Order: sequence, then structure tokens, then C-alpha cells
Amino acid sequence: MKVSGRVWKFGDSIETDAINPYYRYPTMEELKLHTMEVYRSEFPREVKPGDVMVAGRNFGCGSSRPGLVLREVGIAAIIAESVSRLFLRNSISRAIPIFVAPGVTGIVDDGETLEVDYPQGIVRNTKSGKSVELRRYPPGIEQIFECGGLPQFAYERYQREAALGGRAR
Amino acid sequence: MAQTMAEKLLSRHNIAGKEVRAGDFLEASIDGAMCHYHAGESMVDMAVEAGFKDGLPKVWDRDRIYVLLDHHQPTLTQKLADENALIRREVERLGIRCFHDSEPGIAHQMMLDYGLVRPGELVVGNDSHTLCYGSVNAGATGITRADMFYVLLYGELWFQVPHSVKVVLSGRQPNYPISKDIILALAGRHGDDFAQGMSIEYSGGLVSQLSLDSRSCLSTHGVELGAKFAMFEADQATHAFVKSRTSTPYEPLVPDTGAGYEKEIRLDVDGMPFMLAKPHQFGNVAPVEEAKGVRVQQAQIGSCANGRYEDIEIAARMLEKHKVAKGVRFIVSPASQQVYLQCLKAGLIEKLVDGGAQVITPGCGVCQPRVGFLSDGEVCITATTRNFKGRKGSQKAEIYLAGPLTVTAAAVAGEIADPREVFPGL
Repeated sequence: MKVSGRVWKFGDSIETDAINPYYRYPTMEELKLHTMEVYRSEFPREVKPGDVMVAGRNFGCGSSRPGLVLREVGIAAIIAESVSRLFLRNSISRAIPIFVAPGVTGIVDDGETLEVDYPQGIVRNTKSGKSVELRRYPPGIEQIFECGGLPQFAYERYQREAALGGRAR
Repeated sequence: MAQTMAEKLLSRHNIAGKEVRAGDFLEASIDGAMCHYHAGESMVDMAVEAGFKDGLPKVWDRDRIYVLLDHHQPTLTQKLADENALIRREVERLGIRCFHDSEPGIAHQMMLDYGLVRPGELVVGNDSHTLCYGSVNAGATGITRADMFYVLLYGELWFQVPHSVKVVLSGRQPNYPISKDIILALAGRHGDDFAQGMSIEYSGGLVSQLSLDSRSCLSTHGVELGAKFAMFEADQATHAFVKSRTSTPYEPLVPDTGAGYEKEIRLDVDGMPFMLAKPHQFGNVAPVEEAKGVRVQQAQIGSCANGRYEDIEIAARMLEKHKVAKGVRFIVSPASQQVYLQCLKAGLIEKLVDGGAQVITPGCGVCQPRVGFLSDGEVCITATTRNFKGRKGSQKAEIYLAGPLTVTAAAVAGEIADPREVFPGL
């Protein structure tokens, strides 16, 4: 996949209570009005479909909560120095485009445009031309993304095994 | 090849039947799944979205899925009551046998209380603090709801074998719990993600002196360091604890001599000061001294990190001779009904109430914006899991994390203070 978008830049250890404060705002409509406001109050108001997020290390630490709201407000990709393991799992299992690209915070500023070129394995600042490598996923994980997430992957397996007349192991 | 506990765990559970090493990907067979079933986003909706129009068609094993309604018991809103009703219908439809419904408490503590997790098992839960069961030598980790969906159906899940970090703890256990101070000291010195995606193996001379309660705090908090697993070896105390709760046989994990560790970290607790995390991040660690004198309006003890017997016992012991300061709401929430009962039988609850504390129903509420909201400008010191901005309501409130003794000292002094100064007889 290839994506490019305007950058919203955040710091280290961005936590999931801030990304997805569903205890306080239980519906998706409310969440969209409050996601990330703890860090930048203008974010929910000003984020546009196609924008991308860039963050430092340990993105998505804290509780196991998916970042579906970020997709709902239009974030096309998340690129971070490192991602907390549960947020990474959450993003893979819901097929939300997320990329680990060490050094990314050094090549792009807030408001600039960043391009993610997954086949080439790089992210690039379209203005300065500076780029860093992103970490490719192993084929098994790519397959989950391609299916649209793990529940969809499960459904395909279920259908396949049913067609064979076999039972799940 | 010599293996770490994590390598041994995942090699044993590798469906392909081959030995795996740190960095390898595999499909693993799951021994147990702790499932809230719902929590904000319904498994039913997820099933329908994926194509299963009537919901999950089956579960992989009715006896190895543990459904516990811990986050919402008793329910505080109509919506949650309706969600719980849906879960009850689903549990019945799917024939899940282990269902803790009308019993408040934190799932992680109940999993331990009822012997639902054993040494050497690979146990997953759709809650970040599932690492908790590493205290009894289980390979336990949090997964996501969509991962859980797959586990419910197949009892299998993909993993990457983690690299391991050995945390060597030395020194002497004082006569009060210090596990929170230990974990904060580790986060403060090495960063709040020094174990990102890794498996922590706790070892060293202090370990045999640590109670199961203390070990559970250290394993639970592994996730605050980014870890996938946070395990202790099984010793006599572990076997006694587990065998008094279950007759299911098990095979403990023991690391091989010469196993490969990515890094080794040492911490000597002798002379370690009391620690806290300042607002609004776990890694924002300082000795208590640095926050001395900060007035507090609320103090709390509870959660899957610090709602256990020893956490409550130290508070009760201190309140025997001291009273909670005027204007401080001191909230204590036992982790489970079993813990509550143990505290009652030991007379701790009477001491707490007599000393001015409020004791509330076991559950997760004390660690969330569910019970005990904070208002703008208020300060809370809490022995729970997290201090993120807004975690207890107002985004203009401040939350400090500390151990139960430091929290009790603040509740008595009305401000953050060194416990040794508040309780001279310590």
C-alpha cells in the first residue's frame, strides 16, 4: 500500500485512554469529538480524512483498546518510532494501517506531508525528500491485513474448513 | 539449545510442533482464555461484521474459556446492565461453563483465587493486565478483542516469541509491601517501555521473600513496562498456592542454564526510597521526597495491582493508631470477594472503617472513571494501575501512583509524605 497525508505529530508514550476514552464517551459519535484532546484539544475539530499521525516511542501504551476512532475520523496511517505491543496487535487484528519506522520523528514536522511506501519499505517527507525505513511485516501478518482483520481471517478459515467438510482442529 | 521461560513456553505450545526461538512467529495452542466477552464493543457485532450473521457459531472449548463480568459489577448504568444481560444470553447459547456472573471482583484476582490458571500454561485475556498470572509461573498475556474472537473460535493464536529480560532483585523484604516501589523504580531508571514486547523473568535473592501478592503486583505491572510476559519461577509458595485451589496437573517453566537474555537489570531494594509516579505517566517516577507536601483530596488502594490482602493489611495496620485526615476520601477496594472475605476474617475492614476509610465493592471501578471521580484541581494518590490524565474524571485533576503504605501515609497526613515520618514505629 501507498499513502500520503498531512502529519499530526505527537510525542512519546501516547496512551489509549487518550486515543479511545470510551469510559467517558461510550459512543463512537462522542469519541470522535474527544479523541486525542488530552494532548491537542484542536485535534478532533481539525483532523481531516487522509491525514496521518506520527508519534514517538511506545505509541498506544496502556489499556488494550483499539484505535478504531482514529480510522473513523479519517486517519489514513499511523507511523511511530515504536508501538506498544497491545496497540500493535489491536491495529493488526482490525487492519488499521500502522507502521514502525525508527527515526520518523526526525524527518518530518507537524503539518508537513509524509508518504508511506510499504512495497518499497520506506516513509518519506515529500517536501525535503528525507526518508527512513519502515519495518515490513511477515507474510502471516500481511495476510491478516489483507483479509481486513482477524475476525474476517477467522471467517475465511471457517468457510474454508466448512467447504472441506472438515471440522476445526 | 538453552531456552528462556518464554521460549520453552511457546515451543511447548507451538502447533507446528517445532522448537522456537526469540523472534520466531508461530501459531500457538491456548490453555485458557479469560474473557470479558464484551467491554464496549460486542463480540456479536464483531462476528456479524466478519460474516457470521448469527454471531459466533461455536466456541473451541467450553471448559477453558473463563467469562468474568468484572468491569461492570454491580452495574452503574442501564446500558451496562443491558450489556451484561446480553453476555449472559451468549454464555448460555455457547455453553461456556465457567462464568462468574453475580460476583463482583477483578477477573485477574478471581483467576488466581479459583485456581483457573496453573504454572506453565499459556493463558490469554482481553485485558492488558493479564500478565498478572506470571506470578504463578503462567505465560499469561493481554490480547485484543479481535484476537479473543479468534481464540474463542479456534483456541489458537499467532505470537512472536519474545526476547527476554532478566530482572534480578536483591535485598531484604521489609515488614510492608514494596512491590509498587520496585516496579516504579524500574520504570524510572530504565523507561516505561524498556521491556517492549519482551518477556520479563524475575529472579534474585529477594524473590523467595516476596509473597504471591507482591509477585502478582510485579507481574501485573509488566505491561506498564511494555512486556508481553512477566514471569516468576514456581517455588514452594507457588505450588502451595496453586495446589490448594486446583487438582489439575501442570508442568512449570524453568529457564535453562545458559539461556539467552537480551539484557539483565539489577535492583537492590535495601535503601531504596519510597517511590511514586507523578502525573500523568507511569514513567514519570520520583522518590516520594520530591512530592512531599502536595495536598491530597483522595487516596485509594485497590485494582489488579494493589487490591490484595497485604495491600489492605498494611493500611489497616497503620490506621489502628492513626486516623484519616479531615477532608481526605480514602477509598479501599479489595480485588475480589475472596480477598474481601480474608480481610473481614482478619478484622482489617473494621480497622479501616474505624480509621476513617471507605471500603467499596471489589472490582475495577476504583482504577477507572467509574467510582470516586475527581473534580478540577483535585489531587489523588493511588495504589492502582494508571495515572493518565482524566483517568478519574476531570482532565484538570492530578493523579500520583504509589504503594499502599505511601498512600495510607498521605491519607493520614492529608498530604504526600514519607511513610517513615508519618508512622514513626514502622
